[in-house]
Amino acid sequence: MSHAVAAHRPRVAVRVRLAWTVAVFGTIAFLACLLAPLVGSTPIHLSTVFDRSLSYADNIDAQIFWVARLPRVLAAALVGSSLALAGVVFQALLRNPLASPDTLGVSAGASLGAMIAITFNLDFSLFGVTAVPVASFIGSFGALGIVYGLSAARRRGTSTIVLLLGGVTVQALLSAIIAFVQYLADFTQTFRNVRWLMGSLDVASYPPLLAALIPMGISWIGFATLPRVLDLISIGHESAAARGVDVDRFERVALVSASLATGAAVALAGPVSFVGLIVPHLVRLLVGADHRLVLPASALFGAAFLIGCDLVARTIIAPLELPVGIITAIIGGPVFLWLLLRRS
Amino acid sequence: MAAASKILRRVAIIVALVAATSVTADLKVRTASRMSAGTVVRAASLATTGSRADLQVGPTRIISLVPATTEMLFVMGAGNRIAGVSDYDRFPPEVAKLPKVGGLIDPNVERVISLKPDLVIVYDTQTDLKQQLDRARIPMFRYVHRGLPDITETMRALGDRIGAKDAANAAAARIEAQLSAIKARVAGRPRPSTLLVFGRDAGALRHIDASGGYGFLHDVLELAGGTDVLGDLKQQSVDVSTEMILRRAPEAIIELHYGESLKTERIEDERKVWNALPSVPAVKNNRVYLLRGDEFVVPGPRIVIAAERFAQTLHPQVFGR
Amino acid sequence: MLKATDVSFSYGGRHGARRVIDRVSFEVERGTIVGLLGPNGSGKTTLVRILAGMLHPDSGHVVLDGASVMEMSRRDLARRVALVPQETHTTFDFSVIDMVLMGRYPHLGPFELERPADLDIARDALDATGTADLESRSFRTLSGGEKQRVVIAAALAQASDLLLLDEPTTALDVGYQFEIATLLKRLNAAHGTTMIVSTHDLNLAASLCERVVLLKSGCVVAHGVTAETLTAENIRLLYNVEADVQFHARAGHLTVVPLGRA
Repeated sequence: MSHAVAAHRPRVAVRVRLAWTVAVFGTIAFLACLLAPLVGSTPIHLSTVFDRSLSYADNIDAQIFWVARLPRVLAAALVGSSLALAGVVFQALLRNPLASPDTLGVSAGASLGAMIAITFNLDFSLFGVTAVPVASFIGSFGALGIVYGLSAARRRGTSTIVLLLGGVTVQALLSAIIAFVQYLADFTQTFRNVRWLMGSLDVASYPPLLAALIPMGISWIGFATLPRVLDLISIGHESAAARGVDVDRFERVALVSASLATGAAVALAGPVSFVGLIVPHLVRLLVGADHRLVLPASALFGAAFLIGCDLVARTIIAPLELPVGIITAIIGGPVFLWLLLRRS
Repeated sequence: MAAASKILRRVAIIVALVAATSVTADLKVRTASRMSAGTVVRAASLATTGSRADLQVGPTRIISLVPATTEMLFVMGAGNRIAGVSDYDRFPPEVAKLPKVGGLIDPNVERVISLKPDLVIVYDTQTDLKQQLDRARIPMFRYVHRGLPDITETMRALGDRIGAKDAANAAAARIEAQLSAIKARVAGRPRPSTLLVFGRDAGALRHIDASGGYGFLHDVLELAGGTDVLGDLKQQSVDVSTEMILRRAPEAIIELHYGESLKTERIEDERKVWNALPSVPAVKNNRVYLLRGDEFVVPGPRIVIAAERFAQTLHPQVFGR
Repeated sequence: MLKATDVSFSYGGRHGARRVIDRVSFEVERGTIVGLLGPNGSGKTTLVRILAGMLHPDSGHVVLDGASVMEMSRRDLARRVALVPQETHTTFDFSVIDMVLMGRYPHLGPFELERPADLDIARDALDATGTADLESRSFRTLSGGEKQRVVIAAALAQASDLLLLDEPTTALDVGYQFEIATLLKRLNAAHGTTMIVSTHDLNLAASLCERVVLLKSGCVVAHGVTAETLTAENIRLLYNVEADVQFHARAGHLTVVPLGRA
């Protein structure tokens, strides 16, 4: 009877849509990674970069490509995709479209770690990674530990509320401690603290990228188990549980994965605003709400988005550079307002 | 279960209160900073009136919140008239025995007033403090710092203010002569384009903060026979990317380190960090210098030492190192 | 089909503070609609959660077609028992067909995507609830009655054997209440779907349920055929309310009119 009506609008199978989504967004991300290192305030030539006749030490183009640009673009890709993925997961986990990687305090923990390293002049190196990123990651881990402990302490009942409350409390507490640490800093350290908080993708070497890949890789494994579950949980815990979802376990996986990804991203580049908040929304406008599409699309789009923002940041007022966080805020702020107005 | 949520609720309330208090405190500071300049002028005229009354004697209980002016007072022979200094004062050694009253961001107003000063040297930007001193009718000297010439100009003004005019002028003249001498010695020599680094992450080429062509350190660099490689940007400090460094290709790199931030055993490792940019002439020709010292942070009488060290670094031939 | 024996449950474990369900026993035969009635705090919601496998009783058994619910895997149980909650709030903008397809989750492997067969089952469920023309609509834009029908369709797509409905009409106006009640009766008649309906609404229970189980303070105070069990005395016992229970000829079932506090 009504099948005839439905047949007029045949539904494209999700596997086909998934294939298309990955293909399109993957291409965009790939092109961004490929072309961005070639563009910048200094013109360079690809032929010169790979010119074997010049020794590396004399090849300015090559050094700009391999030291100044490529690590930067890769950092943008990693940070952009990690923050976007974390944003998607936090929004589903907390059942709140306004949630972001910053909501539960993991980002604040990472910032606190960095502030402490800068203010107290910590100076050590772990697997080729210097004190500030290491301390930053430890800070994010600490924040995660507190939030995790708070939410695990409550076995039954509405864990979302406890999670949110615990996370927001941790975020506020850590922000207060950050302010205190900044107060202890002398003038030059305060200056460096403030600069760090603006975010910087100019990593200039590969060890920090490889180090960041470890927690990010672990988080990707966690994310891979989540897509359908996030759909179900976002409708309600009870419904999800009644459909066979081990809600507690998946919530833990989601929390830890999203926090690892956020901690690694902030440790690598400092806090970059708005990426985790608006990329999921933009992606949902394009592919719909199904998390099996939204997760991979957000990872790829987040990478391309941040690569693009960084490109603008480093060319728009050349020879000076803007912190990338300013570009993401300039784009993200109005987009976010527009999204809010659209909803009402 | 109920107990845990009760505790959690209490924690949340306490944290919210703390956050709210810090926000309102911050708002208070911000609002105070927007006070008009009218108060400052009034305070300055008050100060002048105060000084005219006892110009022969001059203030004897001076509080200096600015390390630079503390050093200036000592140099003009008024060290024994200092009643209090800032937390960041480190030179000369005598300041260790003096009471500390806070710094630029956090002056301890109660402590200042309790020391019964007859002159307080404040930063021009410390609006809140100036207001409070104004209300307590304590005379003030406003310290403003910009470029190299302001150092001796401030010394003269301060000397005039405290009744040590001759000593101050003599000291200022001495400094100017020493600086001119340095300038003369490097005149005519090739001026290397120099990247003057104020700070960066330890062990990495990240968050590099460098001179952008404005301010007293830039002036000292230029006087000492170097050209600021970022001089055209006309900024006090610039967050410089590795791409910009590669493009500008400075012939010399001077990194400044103050306080305890660079230990001797780390100097070589920190220098090697720059080997990531081998095409930069400074790296190629081994002209990366790491200088430690407080004279680089204090725009006071010791600026001469800073100038000498810059000149020695950039022109060792002339300075016989 | 479903047999609960001596089921007890306390929040806070075996010796926890509140014993919410106390030695509850009842039976539900295949193809029947059984109502679960009781005042606030009687343990209805907890009992529904236990039957859905979301909570484990401290003691007692729940057996579904001979197999213990406690020993079944979540997936197995979800394939046989589906829950229709009182209200469904979506955080994101899913379409109607999306919502129904989610009911197929227990039938798919962890990384498996829906196949055409799943889509057919989903569409059949939409047909059964009269919402086939809403397939591509956004779930959020539906009326209360339409939403509830879609949620019932999702439950059908998940498990056509046994539906647990937790206050299915409480959030709806009288028009939609009637719509849902009619739909449930039709499903039961046409497909033999067994249903357990937890509700406050005495008249709904009277019109819909063949049998009722009355709960008060976690204990079963009466159970049996609706006509015999839903009496004025039992209503007084349960709700402290004086009510008039009459068979309504036009409606074809009992009606309950509350008259005052007992």
